[in-house]
Amino acid sequence: MTKRGRTTRLVSIALMIVFAVILAFPLYWIVVTAFKDPTEVFSMVPKWLPEKWTLGNFKEVFNIIPFGRYYFNTILYAFGLLAVQLVTVTLAAYAFARMQFRFKKILFMILLVQLMIAPQTLIVPNYLTISNMGLLDTKTAIALPYVASAIGVFLLRQGFAAIPRELEEAATIDGCGTFRFMISIAIPLLKPTYLAFTLISVTYHWNEFFWPLIVTDSVKARTLTVGLAMLAEASESAAAWTLLMAATLLVILPLIIFFAIFQKTFISSFMQSGMKG
Amino acid sequence: MKTKTKKKILPWIFIAPTFFFLGMFTYYPAFRSLFLSFMRMNMATPEPVFTGLDNFKRAFSTPLFWQVAGNNLFYAFVTVPITMALALVLALLVNQKIFGSSFFKTIYFYPNVIPMAAASMIWLYIFLPGYGFLNYILGKIGIPNIEWVSDSRFAMWALIIVAIWKNAGYYMVIFLGGLQQLPTEIYEVATIDGASAWRKFWKITWPLLSPTTFFAFIIAVINSFQAVDQIYLMTRGGPANTTNMFVYYIYQVAFKYWDFGYASALTVILLVLLLIFTVLAFFFLERRVFYESGERL
Repeated sequence: MTKRGRTTRLVSIALMIVFAVILAFPLYWIVVTAFKDPTEVFSMVPKWLPEKWTLGNFKEVFNIIPFGRYYFNTILYAFGLLAVQLVTVTLAAYAFARMQFRFKKILFMILLVQLMIAPQTLIVPNYLTISNMGLLDTKTAIALPYVASAIGVFLLRQGFAAIPRELEEAATIDGCGTFRFMISIAIPLLKPTYLAFTLISVTYHWNEFFWPLIVTDSVKARTLTVGLAMLAEASESAAAWTLLMAATLLVILPLIIFFAIFQKTFISSFMQSGMKG
Repeated sequence: MKTKTKKKILPWIFIAPTFFFLGMFTYYPAFRSLFLSFMRMNMATPEPVFTGLDNFKRAFSTPLFWQVAGNNLFYAFVTVPITMALALVLALLVNQKIFGSSFFKTIYFYPNVIPMAAASMIWLYIFLPGYGFLNYILGKIGIPNIEWVSDSRFAMWALIIVAIWKNAGYYMVIFLGGLQQLPTEIYEVATIDGASAWRKFWKITWPLLSPTTFFAFIIAVINSFQAVDQIYLMTRGGPANTTNMFVYYIYQVAFKYWDFGYASALTVILLVLLLIFTVLAFFFLERRVFYESGERL
C-alpha cells in the first residue's frame, strides 16, 4: 500500500472512532445512569460509572407507573397491527406486481403519497374520525391509520415482481390457481422481504408517540412511549433522572436487542425502503 | 368467460382493503381538513358554520403563525444540510474496506432505531443545566453554563442537535445505497490516472450521487416539517414560542383551545407545503421505482 493510502486509512479510522464515541455516548449515558443511586446525579463532576450498581430505579419505575401494562399494550398493538398489515399489504402488493388492471399506475402513485404525510399531520381530522367512531382510548384507534401501508406494498411489490413468469406458468400448467401459487410458492420466496417489512413496521410502531398520545387517555390503551412521557411529566419537579433513565432504558431495550440480532437485515431493509414509515 | 371476469375483478378485491383504509385515514381526512378550514368550529360553535376564508385570513395576519413558519423553515434548513453532510461523511467512511467498518455502521445507525420520545429524555438529561454532561464538557473549555432548553437563544439548537444525532445514521444508509450502485470501473481508471481521493470525490462520487442526495434532501425536509415528538417532550414550543413549529402549533390550537376550524386551516397549509415537496420527490421516486423493479407498471 502506498504511503498516501496508509495515511488516508489512519485518518479514516481515527474519524470513525471519534464519530462512534460521540454518537454512542447517549446510549452509554442512559445505561450507566439507570444503574446509579439517585443522589449520584447531583455531582458537579459526572461519574462515568455508578459508585454502587443498583436495580432500585427499575423497581421504582414498576412501582410508580404500570409499566407492565404499557409493555403489554405496545406488544399487542405493534404485533396485532403487523398481523393485519401482512394480509392487506400482501394482497395489494401482489396485485400491483403480477396483475393487470386499469389505473394501476395512478393508483400506485396515490398509495405512495401516504409516505409523505406523517400521521401527526392529520391529527385533527383523524381525531374527529376516531371520536365519531367511538374508538377514543383504544388500541384499535392507534392502529387504524396504519392498516394501509404504502411502504409495505412498495417493498413486497418489488419482491413479487421479481418472481419469473415461467415459474407461474409452470405452476398453472400443474393446475395451481392464483391463491395456491401465492401462498405455496410466491410468499415463501419472499421471506427476507417479509422479515424486512416486519422489522420496519414493529420498530416504527413501537416508537410511535404523538398519535397514541392524542387518542389515548388511560392506562388501558397507552403505549410505552406515552407512558414514558407521563412519567417525565409526573417527576419533573423531583428531577428523578435515574428513574427516568431506567424507564427510558426499559422502553428501548427490546429494540436494541432486536437491532443487535438483526443489524444487517435492519440496515439493508431501511436501505431498500429508502424512506421511513 | 367466467375465468376472464374473475381475472378482471380479482385485482380490485386484492387492493380493496388497502385503499379502503388509505381513503379513510389519509385522503378523507385531508379533504375533511379542507372542508373544515372554511368553517368556524370551536368550543362556542361545536357545529361547523361556514365562514369562507376567515381561518386563512386569521392565520396570515397572526404574528405567531409567521413565527411558527419561520421557526420551521429555520429548523429544516439548518438541520437538513448538516445531517446530510454528516451522513455522507459517515457513508464514505464505512464504505471503505476497513476492518470493523460494519461495526461502526451499526453504531452510527442505532439512534434511528430508538423512539424519538426516548431520545428526547436522554438528551434532556445531557442538556440539563448545572449537572448535565454537555455543560460539564463545555465548562472544560471555558464556556459558562447554558440553559439549553429554557433559554430562547439555545432551545432551537437543542432540538437541532437531537435531530442530527437521531437521523444521521438513517441518511448514511441511504447514501450507502447510492454509493454501492456507482460503477467501480470509473474509479479504477481514475486511480490509474493518479487522481487523489479528494479529486475522485468531487469529480466522480459527488456528481454521480446527486440523485440520491436530492432525494434524501427532499425526504429530510418533508420530515422536518412534521417534527413534533421532541418539541412536545423537550420544549413545549417554548420559551416564548421560539421552538413552536407547524404540527405542535396545530396540536395547541386543536387540543388546548379546541379550535378545530382554525386548526384545519393550519393543517391545509401544511399539507400544501408537503404537497409541493412531494411533487419534487415523486419525480425522483418514480425513476427509482422503475430502476429497481426493472419492469414497467
